[in-house]
Amino acid sequence: MEFASFVVFFIISCTLGAVLLGISSLLGQKRKAIREMDIYESGVNPVGSATRQYDIKFYLTAILFLLFDVEIVFLLPWALAYKDAPNQSLMIYGFVFFMIILLVGYVFVINSKALKWEE
Amino acid sequence: MLEATIEILIKTIIILGLPLGSLPIIIHVERRGAAFMQKRLGPNRVGPFGLLQPLADVAKFMFKEEVQPAHVRPFFYTAAPMIALVVALLPLACIPIAGPIEAFGRTIYPEVFRSEMGIFFAFAVSALGSYGILLAGWASNNKYSMLGALRACAQMVSYELSLSTSLVAMVFLYGTNDIHAMVAEQTGYWFGFLPRWGFFLQPVAAMLFLVGIFAESNRLPFDLAEGESEIVAGYHLEYSSMKFALFFMAEYIHMIALSALFIIMFFGGYSLLPGMDLIVDQAPSLLVVLQATSLIIKVAFMIWFFVWVRWTLPRFRYDQLMSLGWERLLPLGIANLIVTVLFVYFRNQ
Repeated sequence: MEFASFVVFFIISCTLGAVLLGISSLLGQKRKAIREMDIYESGVNPVGSATRQYDIKFYLTAILFLLFDVEIVFLLPWALAYKDAPNQSLMIYGFVFFMIILLVGYVFVINSKALKWEE
Repeated sequence: MLEATIEILIKTIIILGLPLGSLPIIIHVERRGAAFMQKRLGPNRVGPFGLLQPLADVAKFMFKEEVQPAHVRPFFYTAAPMIALVVALLPLACIPIAGPIEAFGRTIYPEVFRSEMGIFFAFAVSALGSYGILLAGWASNNKYSMLGALRACAQMVSYELSLSTSLVAMVFLYGTNDIHAMVAEQTGYWFGFLPRWGFFLQPVAAMLFLVGIFAESNRLPFDLAEGESEIVAGYHLEYSSMKFALFFMAEYIHMIALSALFIIMFFGGYSLLPGMDLIVDQAPSLLVVLQATSLIIKVAFMIWFFVWVRWTLPRFRYDQLMSLGWERLLPLGIANLIVTVLFVYFRNQ
């Protein structure tokens, strides 16, 4: 039941977006101009395709984000469970062990210059 | 069943109406604030003090020609602005504008989606924001758009890490994911005068979160997704009329939602501002109204803070931005988390 309200909210926001887009395509001025159909490249004739190769750093950033974010998200249930845990010392040992692994990974990433942008 | 449906609809209208209705005011404040800081007038012709300027803009967005260039991928090109707007609106569903209300013989929670995992859920859906941007850049099939989208995404995911570390630190301290419980922890005063806000418990986490929300919403000094001399307008370069307006709205709503999350975690959410409890002692029935007012005042201040920072700090270079995120803020966030956890553990020993 609680989630149903979220679904309603989702549907209403989608409708809102669709209505806004619909209004402008209904009311908007319509004319056919050839020039504005071109790729915008500062007024010069376009060179090459847009889906060419990009810097590998973007890809590395995304992959490393996945790793680190999953590691940090794993800590959330830990943080919630800590307060009522029967053995808090054990929780802390686990936390320290986990953090050491995370930090080793982090130091490796920084040392390998995976995220250095300037050449 | 009917009652529940009406309740959901009313809540949805309020939660959607407040931020959408205040958008023209926010945009006006931003323009006038910019003008004020640069010693110029800003928009002052349409209506009294130029207050109707945003409405004139809306009318213009509606009647402008909708250009769909020939080289775009049509389906995703149209879907991207909608995804951006809807995803920006979703976290608002979990944000309560006041405390639980006892009425009609039961407790009414003034948020659309009541969840024990409120803050986590809001955070998770607000992180979806990069999809709209990435799709827009890719579907536009333009080098500037693609680069802008890649930059914006890389920046958003990088700063999400420092956001997450400060979120974990706060969840650990409060021991709950529930927004109402979190606000209840922050109600009241230390030593009789200092509000029990999370900011005073965790100033480092608050700073990390603040920097993170600036980067997440692509606001200055982190607006590297755009750049006149490098990639023109970035991911919304090929968009016009209402499609562009949807990205614009999404950015502002994202700002509002993230500010509200920041305030819930560090500035007591809807808990009363200092001094307001004197009024509540006199008239207890005003509690809900004052709580909503408190939240709105706090969020309004945050929005003004966004404008303020925009005209105070210069923007970064892209490599500076990435090294700040990965080499300064992330280790700082992890260190803050470790120190917090060990401090709490050894204090309780």
